[in-house]
Amino acid sequence: MDPKTAMYVAQGIHGLAYGMILFLIASGLNIIFGMMGILNLAHTAFFMLSAYFCYQFITWTGSYWMALLLAPIATAFFGILLEKFVLRKMHAIGHLSELIVTVGVGMVVLAAVKIFWGTESLPVKIPEALTGLVYIAGLEYPIYRLFIIALALLVLMFMSLLLYKTRLGKIVQAAVSDADMVNALGINIPLVFMTVFGVGTWLAGVAGVAIAPILTVFPGLDGQVGMDAFMVVVTGGFGSLMGAFIVSIIFGLLNSYGVQFFSSLAPVLMFAFMALVLIIRPLGLFGVRE
Amino acid sequence: MNNKKNYWLFWTGLIIGLIVYPKVVGIYYTNFFVTFAIFSVFSVSYNFLLGFTGLFSFGHAMFFGTGGYGVALALTHLKGISVITALGIGLLAAAVLALVLCPIVVRVTGTAFAMLHLAFGQLMYVLALKLRTITGGEDGVGGFPLPPINLGWLAINLKDSANFYYFALVVLGLSLWVMWFFTKTPFGQIQRGVRDNAKRIDYLGFKVPQTKAVIYVISGAFAGVAGAVYALFQNLISADGGYSVIVSFTPIINVMVGGLASFFGPIWGTAILQIITEITTRYTDRVELVSGLILISIIMFAPLGFMGFFHSLKRRWTYPHPFKAKTEEAS
Repeated sequence: MDPKTAMYVAQGIHGLAYGMILFLIASGLNIIFGMMGILNLAHTAFFMLSAYFCYQFITWTGSYWMALLLAPIATAFFGILLEKFVLRKMHAIGHLSELIVTVGVGMVVLAAVKIFWGTESLPVKIPEALTGLVYIAGLEYPIYRLFIIALALLVLMFMSLLLYKTRLGKIVQAAVSDADMVNALGINIPLVFMTVFGVGTWLAGVAGVAIAPILTVFPGLDGQVGMDAFMVVVTGGFGSLMGAFIVSIIFGLLNSYGVQFFSSLAPVLMFAFMALVLIIRPLGLFGVRE
Repeated sequence: MNNKKNYWLFWTGLIIGLIVYPKVVGIYYTNFFVTFAIFSVFSVSYNFLLGFTGLFSFGHAMFFGTGGYGVALALTHLKGISVITALGIGLLAAAVLALVLCPIVVRVTGTAFAMLHLAFGQLMYVLALKLRTITGGEDGVGGFPLPPINLGWLAINLKDSANFYYFALVVLGLSLWVMWFFTKTPFGQIQRGVRDNAKRIDYLGFKVPQTKAVIYVISGAFAGVAGAVYALFQNLISADGGYSVIVSFTPIINVMVGGLASFFGPIWGTAILQIITEITTRYTDRVELVSGLILISIIMFAPLGFMGFFHSLKRRWTYPHPFKAKTEEAS
């Protein structure tokens, strides 16, 4: 294969990997919004927090795999605390107040991160097993990017199984359409909400660990990646996992090919795409919920 | 009668207080007040959408930034232009942007409205960063000339901070008054009707999308005025200072803290948050932590904002206040 095609394929892999990370964050946001109607603006702060946890666990245990296992769980724990002690009390007041509270939580998390870890960017090493390149059909691929894609697909599969094949998934689906009625049928809705919020932040956590070796860990991480993820949710449609998946891939590819072809205007492409979609379909590509 | 006397006494006192303010407190607090006034007008213009019409936007910064860039570019490129004309250009730029957008945005409500604004706001932000030849990229447009205002018999040099204070006070006070006046007109009544029950307003024969469009343009224009004064005040407008998401969030937070049901709520919110930031900056460099925690506790424990909190106190103790009739009318 000639070098030009090889370059395109390599860019495609990079774009896909980035898109998959966006998808991990976006799916968490999506599940929380679809279920509870909360636009959780602290979500990206949790994503950043998880990247810091990843750094910390690697410093303690020396193993990336332990960090991959533990950091998202620790992040989810903080998410559950937020849901239980803050958001649950806010539910009666209204969605706008909930949204502003999550802005406040995001600020607090950012400040806390700066207090504990400082403002420098902290390097995270790619684990031994995932460094280097792999050769398929005469082309070379960076293993770590492929690993991210595989990880995201695994999580997607796990999520779809959870949502569509388990009892919890059925309860969640029912609660999306009418939470009060499900509650009246004797199901502990607050507990379900807490679980969903935990799973949502766990997804952000997985994304945080996945991105830590690529971008290093620094306090602006949430703004840089978070905004893109937020746009994915908006463009794909709130509450739609499928929409988030498709738009993440589109955004990832737009990002990597955009940088290659018109470098300075690459970010404009994504916003223009988003504006265009929203003009035609105000609720996003697959949006159903107002 | 007594109420009316108190009312005049209050306004006379307020105006005298505002006139002598820069002479008493010195340059630092004069500038502090100018910043407060700018963001008050910005927040009130935002509340015009959120509190009075029920339209929740994530991208009000685009009008603020456009006003700022409008005035900055006018003063940079047009020779011999007066500050007032440049201010007019800033206002017009924001109003034109609102006019261009309103056919798209007035058809939608709720989440879709908010998201559409997020998209356009971010688009403007990125464009301001990337169209380097016009906007100067990350550096923004700065160091433009600030010609004195010539009133015929005297020329006001705006580089003096006290003079700028009076200039800003007049411009922003006028903007506030116009918006306040607007909410008192029959059109303002329709505006609140659209918020409470758009369908009924439609049945009554008023045109809902057109009403929204007019409100949208007015709100955008005054956000543009705030941005223009901000650009003049800083002698700089940049993408981060004018268009970033944080600028969009400032009025939302001010409105929520102050209370979105009343006209004067956002002004209180701006004052409260700015004073908190000022005090925390003095004692600690963890401003984000403190303001984040305060924001959370205000929203959790006073969900109707300062004005709501104030009214509940008033109801409890029937506290006499010169503003009683006014604020209740506004809410």
